[in-house]
Amino acid sequence: MALLSRSAPPLDPSAPLLDAREVAVEIGGKRILHAADLRVAAGELVAIVGPNGAGKSTFARAVAGLQRTSGGSVRWSGVDVGQLPGRRLAQLRAFVPQRSRVPDGVTVREAVRIGRSPHIKPLGRMMQADHEAVERAIARAGVERFAERKLTTLSGGELQRVQVAVGLAQEAPLLMADEPTSHLDLGATATLAKLLRGLTSDGLAVILVVHDLSLAAAVADRVVVIASGRSVASGPPADVLVRERLAEVWQVDAALETRPDGHTALHVAWLGRQERQSEAFAAEGAAADPPA
Amino acid sequence: MSVQATPRATTDEPAGGPAGSFAPPLDAPPRRGASVRQIVVVVIAGVALVAAAIGSMTLGAVHVPLSVVIDALTGQAEDGPLKQIVLDLRLPRMIEALVVGAALGVAGALLQGALANPLASPDVMGVTGGASFGAMLILLLLPDQIALLPVGALAFGLLAAALVFVIGATGAGGGSVARLVLAGIAMTAAFQAGTTSLMALFPDRVQSAIFWLAGGLTTSGWSNLRVVWPYLAIGFVLAITLTRPLDRLALGDDVAASLGSRPRAIRLTAAVAAAMLAACAAAIAGLVTFLGLFIPHVVRMASGTSSHTYVVPTSAIAGAALLMVGDTLARTVAAPIELPVGPLMVLLGVPLFLWLLRRAA
Repeated sequence: MALLSRSAPPLDPSAPLLDAREVAVEIGGKRILHAADLRVAAGELVAIVGPNGAGKSTFARAVAGLQRTSGGSVRWSGVDVGQLPGRRLAQLRAFVPQRSRVPDGVTVREAVRIGRSPHIKPLGRMMQADHEAVERAIARAGVERFAERKLTTLSGGELQRVQVAVGLAQEAPLLMADEPTSHLDLGATATLAKLLRGLTSDGLAVILVVHDLSLAAAVADRVVVIASGRSVASGPPADVLVRERLAEVWQVDAALETRPDGHTALHVAWLGRQERQSEAFAAEGAAADPPA
Repeated sequence: MSVQATPRATTDEPAGGPAGSFAPPLDAPPRRGASVRQIVVVVIAGVALVAAAIGSMTLGAVHVPLSVVIDALTGQAEDGPLKQIVLDLRLPRMIEALVVGAALGVAGALLQGALANPLASPDVMGVTGGASFGAMLILLLLPDQIALLPVGALAFGLLAAALVFVIGATGAGGGSVARLVLAGIAMTAAFQAGTTSLMALFPDRVQSAIFWLAGGLTTSGWSNLRVVWPYLAIGFVLAITLTRPLDRLALGDDVAASLGSRPRAIRLTAAVAAAMLAACAAAIAGLVTFLGLFIPHVVRMASGTSSHTYVVPTSAIAGAALLMVGDTLARTVAAPIELPVGPLMVLLGVPLFLWLLRRAA
């Protein structure tokens, strides 16, 4: 309800869309995030990965301006996030939260219209251009087939695409999504992954908080690894998600395989090496070949 | 108490093939504005309101023909008892029914939207409990000062709401739905204990309190409205400015905040507006606040939409219509005895509510 739009400093088109350095966050006196860095340029998909509780979501919320920071700097197109009024910030980035409310009696189109609100003046009306932006977002997210249905009748995957459509209606150059696939089945995950990857071809930047490393490797140009509240590595997935780092950060014996055709797989010794070997020996007898 | 996006076992159908086919031509024009069903609901409520207004002005112990009513309202009637009945007795009562019904409908719609809770009604903000206590103070302790009744109800209704805000909206974690609701329930219990104690202390005077507690309009001219109108005006103006911000809360606080809204500020402003409206309603008509619970539900279920830009004004019309119909019936069915309008409206409203509830499920 920013009734008076404060004049914010002008954006610097030559600056990166998002430049976050040494971001720290304290919640209730406890330091959740110590120092995390993130730079994102147009047309780039960056995945933020890390173990549960490492601070991925907190970091995403902090750079999105939804969480107060206690240190470091977050700049959107060169302007400090604290100097950007909410509506202005909403025209620079869209944020799809991990879990959003699914209200009764609201249709998909009505929900997507809510995403257009940063462009509408307080007590103003939706203009032709706003209606067109809503329809473009609905079409782009592939939800036009059920645009008249109520949100409460949709499946989890359909709901997430609607959430993306809400973000797209903002027509911001960057879209952030916090664990958008964490509750989805395989097919819905793939559909959403294609949608988000496709947005980068339109020139949008996408930040994806995700715990599925093989998905991150498949869709991301770069991954940023957050561990214990710090960004510990950043770069192309194949360079960053190496065996040693998976062992160090996730404490698991795993290896990422990326094929040139886009297939990715995470090979994990789920039960650890030793146990697995001994079980195999027990099952097949001493004559069996030891597993590779 | 919000509904969370739950993972479902449903398999998604593909959204129309590979990524390239995500943008089909925009041939179907987008639907805008209100649906036929929404318009029908407004028209029915509007017609009921006009019919009730006519009934309220013409029917009663003395039948006043509609032509005389119109003449009196337009200043063309000759001075006489009929003109006096219309202008000094029935018009203020009709206006009271109008504003109380509208205030309760709007208050309920604001609170249910702001707290994202279908059970929210002005009661949960402590307003009803406070207003009852204020009214009992005047009725039981100062029965000679009956003119102060609306002042007492209004003052204590607002005081209770203010206490709920101080407790529920400040400090760490303040402003959350659960904090506000629990603070409201606690405050209601405290004031109800006060009300009951007063009634136990003055059993001989309780008779006069029963009618107020049952809820109903009285023929007291313009005096009640003179006390409450500034608060009513503030409440209604806030409600108008809140409808669209409330719609933006529909997808949850995170989405609203990411769109540049301030969910807590919106929620608290809505609660303040609802508290003012409900306190004014209680000051005029006693305990008819349950209207605030079910009118918005009736509007939502009948119209099929939850958009506040629709539900808030339509709840105002529907609330006014229901209270005016109820009041007219209360004055006429057993004339010259006046039935308390509160219980009568429950008899009218509950079957409608339950029927819609079954149908909506």
